[in-house]
Amino acid sequence: MLDSSARASAEQVDGPSTGIFIRDIEKVFQAGDTSVRAIDRIDLTIAEGEFLCIVGPSGCGKTTLLRILGGLETPSRGEVEINIRHENRPVQSMVFQEQGVFPWLSALDNAAFGLQARGVPKKERRKQASAMLKKLGLSGFEDTYPRELSGGMRQRVNLARAFANDPAILLMDEPLGALDEQTKMLVQDDLLKLWEESRKTVLFITHSLDEAVTLGDRVAVMSHRPGRIKAMFDIDLPRPRNALEIRNNPEFIEVRRKVWEALRDEVLFARKAEHE
Amino acid sequence: MSDLISAPKTSDKPKDSPTFWRKYQGMISSIGSPILLLILWEIGARTGFLDARILPPPTAVAVTIWDMIENEQLLQQTGVTALRFLVGMIVGTVPGIMLGLTMGLFRPVRVALNPLVAILYPVPRIALFPLVLILVGLNETSNIIMIAIGPFFTMLITAMGAVINVEPIYRDVARNFGVKPRQLYFTVTLPAVLPAIMSGVLVSLGLALLGTVAVEFLVSTKGLGYVIWNSWQVLSLKQSMAGLVVAAILGAATYIAMDWLERWIIPWQRTVTKR
Ligand SMILES: Nc1ncnc2c1ncn2[C@@H]1O[C@H](COP(=O)(O)OP(=O)(O)O)[C@@H](O)[C@H]1O
Ligand SMILES: [Mg+2]
Repeated sequence: MLDSSARASAEQVDGPSTGIFIRDIEKVFQAGDTSVRAIDRIDLTIAEGEFLCIVGPSGCGKTTLLRILGGLETPSRGEVEINIRHENRPVQSMVFQEQGVFPWLSALDNAAFGLQARGVPKKERRKQASAMLKKLGLSGFEDTYPRELSGGMRQRVNLARAFANDPAILLMDEPLGALDEQTKMLVQDDLLKLWEESRKTVLFITHSLDEAVTLGDRVAVMSHRPGRIKAMFDIDLPRPRNALEIRNNPEFIEVRRKVWEALRDEVLFARKAEHE
Repeated sequence: MSDLISAPKTSDKPKDSPTFWRKYQGMISSIGSPILLLILWEIGARTGFLDARILPPPTAVAVTIWDMIENEQLLQQTGVTALRFLVGMIVGTVPGIMLGLTMGLFRPVRVALNPLVAILYPVPRIALFPLVLILVGLNETSNIIMIAIGPFFTMLITAMGAVINVEPIYRDVARNFGVKPRQLYFTVTLPAVLPAIMSGVLVSLGLALLGTVAVEFLVSTKGLGYVIWNSWQVLSLKQSMAGLVVAAILGAATYIAMDWLERWIIPWQRTVTKR
């Protein structure tokens, strides 16, 4: 055991002591006799309570990385250590794309899905789920089926399902990718409010630079496949942030430019590889 | 001549009247076209444009139906057909769904049974009838088997395909939220395949009715199919037509019942189109 002073100095050298520690992981998919190396030796630490965004060219292994953290894939090499207090709460929940909402459940039952799977009594889970729907501007739509909702509302149901489950970590895979630009900004704003009051540890994958810089404490840029972490940017914009206003901030524009510089070559490379 | 483009004139009528039309438009036009056809048919038969001996007018058929109801012949025949149809439907669809789900869920079962299905499914079913008669005998059991074969294969293939094609994202969501593999079946697979199964049942209804009438044409001495075929052979066309009308009503009634059942079983499917 380290005493507290030793731990404090260790923290200064090695970064935080609580968080998600991704060490040297690699994932190779085997399909018949061809194999695809999706991600290659990723080292990444996400501090507890941090909002980390990941951008990268398509096909570089972002989804694979997130699915490993979500327990849906196992790494071919390396390890993931999750050292975050979660007491009675689940460790992590994923927010999938919009199609991940169950069409056969009402908005309320969708939002309560995680709680139900964990065996929370009906009355209690309905209370929590409808409170979360209300926060996301969906009161009055509890009994509505997803098919009857707009894309933006459906994506809010998706967020409500993850937030109502109250996990320590949220893993989001391009959750707003299918929304139009204006709706996207509105949902980003909702997401910012929810996160700023709960301060969960978030790993958020997006293909939108604006989105990454709007939401994140840090933005990681991944290389073309096999994906590695190529660059990391601190986003020092003040919180609470407003998704509708932040884009005019000169600091926003500056940091966005820097992130794009790091990403541009990777995107061009990935495109070239695709054409070959 | 004026080049002015003007807004369409607003109607003088109160605003409520077009909403009545809009509300019942679908119903009025769907009932309207068959009624129009019946009226044309009636006029044609009465004016001699159609030969009434070959195509008796609807009113004459209606009178025949009434007569046949009065001498209790028709209701009894209808009951026989309805029962055969119902039993054949259940005997075909329920095992078909069960086996289809099993084959969809468990790859080894699928691999083992698929070749058998691939060989048997395309065989024209009515051609199997003599074989069934030899194996089972000339009795009600073989009739039911003949009626059940179509629904059985239809449901087997529909259910199996539906299970295989369940969006993988649904299972990922369920797994990520901690649903146990054992519970996956009821929380995800079953609701996800229900819409496909319901449309399979709708197709099966048509097949079962076809099978019932075919069996009654061929071997039975009872039922609507027998009435239609037998009356036609003795050139009693009004009675043949009466049997046909009742068979059509039976078919329509089951479709309406199914539609209602579908709205109850998969309420999430219909909601958009109903608005
Ligand atoms: N289950 C799988 N089997 C085989 N290859 C896969 C599988 N999942 C992903 N891949 C491959 O891994 C690479 C990375 O995919 P993915 O993580 O989805 O990228 P991204 O989310 O960054 O677009 C792609 O080349 C993809 O084809
Ligand atoms: Mg992806």
